[in-house]
Amino acid sequence: MRATRPLALAAVGTLALSACGGGESVDTGGGGGGGEDTLVAAVSAQPDQLDPHVTTAYASFQVLENVYDTLVVPDPEDLTMQPSLATEWETSEDGLEWRFTLRDGVTFHDGSEFDSADVVYSYNRIIDEELSNSFRFQNVESVEADGADTVVITLSQPTPNLLERIGSFKGMAILPENAAEDLDLTTEANGTGPFQLESSDASSTVLTAYEDYWDGAPSVDGVEFRYITEPAAALTALQNGEVQWTDNVPPQRIESLGGDDSVQLETTPSVDYWYMSMNYDRPPFDNRDVRRAISFALDREEIAEAAWFGAAEPNQTAIPEDSFFHLDYSPFERDPEQARQLLQQAGVTTPLTMGLMVTDEYPETVTAAQVIASQLDEVGIDVQIEQLDFATWLDRQGAGEYDAFYLGWLGNLDPAAYYQEQHQTDGPNNYQGYSNPQVDELLQQGATETDDDARKEIYDQAATIIVDDVSYLYLYNPDVVQAWAPGLSGYQIRADKAINFENVELP
Amino acid sequence: MVVLAGVSVIVFALVHLVPGDPVRLALGTRFSQETYDTLRERSGLDLPLVQQFFTWLGGAVTGDLGVSFRSGDTVTALIAERLPATLTLAFASILVALLIAIPLGTISALRPRSIIDRFATVVSQFGISVPDFWMAIVLILVFAGTLGWLPSGGYVPLGEDPLGWLQRLVMPAVVTGTVSGAVITRFVRSSVLEAIGADHVRTAQAKGLPARQVFTWHVLRNALLPLVTVTGVQLAYLLSGVVVVEIVFSWPGLGQLALQSVQARDYPVLQGAILLFAVVFLIINLVVDLLYTAIDPRIRR
Repeated sequence: MRATRPLALAAVGTLALSACGGGESVDTGGGGGGGEDTLVAAVSAQPDQLDPHVTTAYASFQVLENVYDTLVVPDPEDLTMQPSLATEWETSEDGLEWRFTLRDGVTFHDGSEFDSADVVYSYNRIIDEELSNSFRFQNVESVEADGADTVVITLSQPTPNLLERIGSFKGMAILPENAAEDLDLTTEANGTGPFQLESSDASSTVLTAYEDYWDGAPSVDGVEFRYITEPAAALTALQNGEVQWTDNVPPQRIESLGGDDSVQLETTPSVDYWYMSMNYDRPPFDNRDVRRAISFALDREEIAEAAWFGAAEPNQTAIPEDSFFHLDYSPFERDPEQARQLLQQAGVTTPLTMGLMVTDEYPETVTAAQVIASQLDEVGIDVQIEQLDFATWLDRQGAGEYDAFYLGWLGNLDPAAYYQEQHQTDGPNNYQGYSNPQVDELLQQGATETDDDARKEIYDQAATIIVDDVSYLYLYNPDVVQAWAPGLSGYQIRADKAINFENVELP
Repeated sequence: MVVLAGVSVIVFALVHLVPGDPVRLALGTRFSQETYDTLRERSGLDLPLVQQFFTWLGGAVTGDLGVSFRSGDTVTALIAERLPATLTLAFASILVALLIAIPLGTISALRPRSIIDRFATVVSQFGISVPDFWMAIVLILVFAGTLGWLPSGGYVPLGEDPLGWLQRLVMPAVVTGTVSGAVITRFVRSSVLEAIGADHVRTAQAKGLPARQVFTWHVLRNALLPLVTVTGVQLAYLLSGVVVVEIVFSWPGLGQLALQSVQARDYPVLQGAILLFAVVFLIINLVVDLLYTAIDPRIRR
């Protein structure tokens, strides 16, 4: 699903530097902003707009990550929440009041001072106007200033993942007070981040360094995000020095580029996960044995290979291996015999026909669905692949007109985001219709438990039941794949796919 | 005008008939019901369809095509931003197409079943049947990759950087021009062949006119009529955006905009773009008709 942020077809490239050196060979012309020392990054799509509180597009957040700040930010290494515009925070005994101390000496790009009024304005804008991220404030009673450098958030129930809710991405950006009245935020920006918006058109978005950035001016003079949709073209642009960075490389090239030292190719497991989900309103998919049979019939390794040419980690739960909340649990090894037995036990007569809805928005799922179909064919399930455009796909999902679908959730950090909405009885994203009182209770406990270890214990229990019941049939976590010019330094690839050029230095 | 009014009704109906919910697409998957309702109301999508139509039509008459759901920009601004790139590519492609089609078509008509004719047939078959996607990728890999002569894609306005403009235009224009040229070549060949066989040409030859004069005045001029028609059709097609080529070469034209709006079910942009294509088609038809009368005196009567 186009979860918190839609997926960029991450793939990565290499640099082959044919003929020429670093960036001079071909006249790169184009956007031209910044200065001599401008990093050109090839991204796969144009931002749909630049209002951080309104957009949900990954292409927009690639740019906005570098323009705006949030109170707290994920650590690039382990994604735990670290200070940013807030330097410290404390929670009241009952967990219902959070006091954030704000950083001193922060200015917006127009030179105005940052203070608590800006935070109150930004959060209340999201809440009052019911903007896309207002659900992140669902437990928030009020956001108030206590002097110029303190903000108090009052909650209706303890919310251990509040920091993740307000800091996981730039959709929760802090705008200057009255920004929506003073600016056209869809095309203009005034943030506190390391770069300021210079221009944005149908070819590229250009940022220039903000010299007064609170964490020190960026190393480069600017960044130009150039939109190159076709991965082969992006890779070529990187190889001939037109761009110095890209996240858009043909997946089938990942392996061969790995050993190519004229290109810096890096991968890291992402926090995204892809899964299959079956519709409980359409028998026999309401039958646990049938779902378990399907789970036993699949070889996740092969599916991941088909989708991402090996740049994905098979996983039978949602949370990837590198996360603190990862649960090492894989009860389903491919076993067609057992699958057939379970189907028989469920009284299903084979061949059983199952529609599998995929969308060309994520072309790799279309390829992988064919592998799923051939694996299920062996146990007597006839899979009818239905390839739809995303708008139609969402319509049918919403109306419950499907047997099964195959999609992903992107950009999750907290276990509540991984499990709650999808598996709680009548949860907002529980399209399949799963209901298990035991899971409901665990998810409720997890949402308010403030001790990390106790929380992990709770979510481990919930995940085990969810996996056993096959509420979702988890498949894999894809890798983040990015490539840049050899010698480019100060850039760090991140599991949450945030792209931050604050410290980048050109070769 | 009557045509345009009809087109606008059909456009509006078609766009709204397509399944898909722009609000859900704009919000992604995590949102509250309140957020959904608010955005739907803000976009005017909660109003009855007939009312939405007349609001849109009222604006369209005065040149206000509404605001994009997706970007928050006005539709006219979005289209205006992309129009120069589309016009550039369309006219450059037609130029390439005619440069291929006229010589190739004429020569193969003058020497039917010769080696050149066979060659022309092969070339035009190639142009029609080879996917433009494939041709575009091959050009990029060879000229931007291996040889490093040209940038891999993008667009710069002519006024900003003439050399960069030309460098970036060459490959997309060659790809679309080859496809159009292949189509036009066949028309040129058949219409020249037809003209050569006409009675008045034989008369002219019988009178002993020099071959060159016969060809220029009696053959070519008559063969021009179908050429103008097919060129007009090709131009209209190119002006409505060549999606695949635009995407592969990162060319910021109307085709990309139309595709993005279809995917996002961005009704205002989609309606604006289709309306524009209809207008373009009407204008080209008009120009073709005017050219007819200029070329063929019989039509004037």
